[in-house]
Amino acid sequence: MKGIGSRVTIGFLSIVVLLFASGVISLFELGNLSNDTETILSTSRRNLELAKDMLSCAHEHSQATIHIALFDDESQRDVCRRAMSDLEGKLAAARNEALDASRLDSLSVSVTRLREVSESYLFTPTLLTTDTLVVSKPIAINDSFAASGKKWYNEQYKVVYDDMVDQIQSFMTHIHSSLAPRAEQLNKNAYRSVAPVLISLVVMIAIVLMFYYFIRVYCVNPIVRTNQALSDFLTYRLPFNVKADLRDEFKELADNIEKLIGISRLKNS
Amino acid sequence: MRASVILRYVGSVMLCVSAFMLVSAVISYINNIDSGFYPLLLSALLTLTLGAFPMLFVPRATSISNKEGFSIVVGSWVLASVVGMFPYLIWGGEFTLINAWFESVSGFTATGATILNDIEQLPQGLLFYRTSTNWIGGVGVVMFALVILPSLGTSRMSLSNVELSSLARDNYRYRTQVIVRILLVVYVGLTVVTTLALKAAGVRWFDALNHAMSACATAGFSTKNASIAFYDNAIVEMILAGAMLISSIHFGLIYATFLGKKNNIFRSEVVRTYIVIVVISTLFIATSLYGADIFPTVWESLRYSFFQVVSLFTSTGYATADTNLWPPFAIVILIFVSIICACAGSTSGGIKIDRALIFCKILWARIRRQQHPNAVIRIRVDGVAQDSDLLNSVVVFIVAYLALIFMATFTNTLFGQDIMTAFTSSVACLGNVGPGFGEVGSMGNYAEIPAILKLQDSFLMLMGRLEIFGFIQLFFLKWWK
Repeated sequence: MKGIGSRVTIGFLSIVVLLFASGVISLFELGNLSNDTETILSTSRRNLELAKDMLSCAHEHSQATIHIALFDDESQRDVCRRAMSDLEGKLAAARNEALDASRLDSLSVSVTRLREVSESYLFTPTLLTTDTLVVSKPIAINDSFAASGKKWYNEQYKVVYDDMVDQIQSFMTHIHSSLAPRAEQLNKNAYRSVAPVLISLVVMIAIVLMFYYFIRVYCVNPIVRTNQALSDFLTYRLPFNVKADLRDEFKELADNIEKLIGISRLKNS
Repeated sequence: MRASVILRYVGSVMLCVSAFMLVSAVISYINNIDSGFYPLLLSALLTLTLGAFPMLFVPRATSISNKEGFSIVVGSWVLASVVGMFPYLIWGGEFTLINAWFESVSGFTATGATILNDIEQLPQGLLFYRTSTNWIGGVGVVMFALVILPSLGTSRMSLSNVELSSLARDNYRYRTQVIVRILLVVYVGLTVVTTLALKAAGVRWFDALNHAMSACATAGFSTKNASIAFYDNAIVEMILAGAMLISSIHFGLIYATFLGKKNNIFRSEVVRTYIVIVVISTLFIATSLYGADIFPTVWESLRYSFFQVVSLFTSTGYATADTNLWPPFAIVILIFVSIICACAGSTSGGIKIDRALIFCKILWARIRRQQHPNAVIRIRVDGVAQDSDLLNSVVVFIVAYLALIFMATFTNTLFGQDIMTAFTSSVACLGNVGPGFGEVGSMGNYAEIPAILKLQDSFLMLMGRLEIFGFIQLFFLKWWK
């Protein structure tokens, strides 16, 4: 490496490049952190919405089932089918978006059981041909129909329904509890995005201190010593002798001063 | 003392460390840019800048003094450990500031003690970097400095005064450039041969290379949580034991043996003593293991006792069994070999068998002198009479070594460690062995010990690597004048 100018330039440039690189890596890690945070929050929000929708569908299905089973309300059959279809749709969506789909297995089983239980009672011909029932009769007319429906609802439907609601609530709880390890992971990622800058700063401080030391030893001292030698020559007519290990431009400067002194001596003589 | 000259040559060692960081980053890149890539890349850049900066300004020194040589070696080790923390710190995980420092010092001093509970969670690039610190440390940062510094004239030897003990230096009959070539040929050659042998034994390439590097450095970092016990393979164990044994013998003697010279390992009294102790220790421990029903057959008792004796005697620290469960007799022998360790002029730590042999001879001479007060008794090693300065330095070193162990044990117990953990962790760290007994046993680690003790242990590792006095001198102001 020749020339003090290029050394100083390279010194400064290396500091700039290093700061830039650590900044870029920190930005990259921050970007990752931001994406991770956004993904976790949006997944969590979406799962909560799906769980809430599933509960609404389940509630709607339950209401419709009561109307059919107890009051033989034909208009609720479509509502019942639609609610079940919506419930299954939401479940499928939740399975697609879940990180661990196996956690929804038990809920899927509950929903399937609910469908089977409700369809076996509400949508099969046996209901219509039961000898004690006349399907089209108003509820007040046929008390045994209502009693049978109530019994079925309490003993079969409600057991499966409650289990499914429990599963949905468990899913909601899981969404919350799964945030803890993810938050911990985020914390680590946050550390990773800050660490490069912190370490680079420490290294920069070390480099700046070294830079100061080298500039002082290899730039400032030669100038001071050369100046001292020149002053001694001018003041006391001492021989021009720089007491330092000179290199590069400083050596050239000292040599040129010596030549100048030589020329002036020649002129004087 | 010229600080700028010291900075320049320490800087050249930083460049070597940065080159290994870059290689590790390339491994991370090949491994689908795993999580170790950016920490390694940035660390390589930071270390490169730190190392190259003094070279920009400081010219090559035509000569360096003995003091400067000492300072370069010690400074290289300490600063390599400091910059060696960067990849760990940036990566995070289990690496706090203290843990990263401990792991880095343990790597560069070829100790092989770890604070990691789950080594296998590290990305491959970082695993390779971790082992490469062992490899660099094994042969000594000094050797790299000697390779990089081709024009230091007669003062070259002063660089190796610290790293190679005075006994080892006396054994060398070559110029420094030849020493460098010997170290390179033996070290690189042995690593390559061990890697190929491990691969042939069924270990995958990455693990074979890592274990070969670590074994040849007699360091002990493994890529597996269960260390060598993971493989449960007698052939793998024998290959590694062979590599450890060879690496723990004076490199100059190995080289001379290969060249068919007269001064070879078969004629060396030190090597003979070393091998005899290995054999006797193995037999004693195997007998005690078989007698205590730890292993059902004689062959298994021999297999496990041989590997553990070689592992601890060479200051490597690999494990194939939980030695905490072994009988007290076996544990005492293992602690004894952890204190002594292998030959000078090798990659192992500890007191070294050379000094132990001379110490025994001094004791024997003392007894004989009691019987024959007027006798002139010379102490000889390999037929060469040793001068009194060397004999004094051996005794002083051993006393200082044992004193340090007891002081460290005292501090460890002060912070609540049980006596076994306190004593053996001091022995293991000062001797650059790695695992001890108790909490820091062969299947344990240093994760749970208090932070202040991790700091103490890391300083013990540095002192052990730099033969105690080389490190201590830096803390005296007069030294710097």
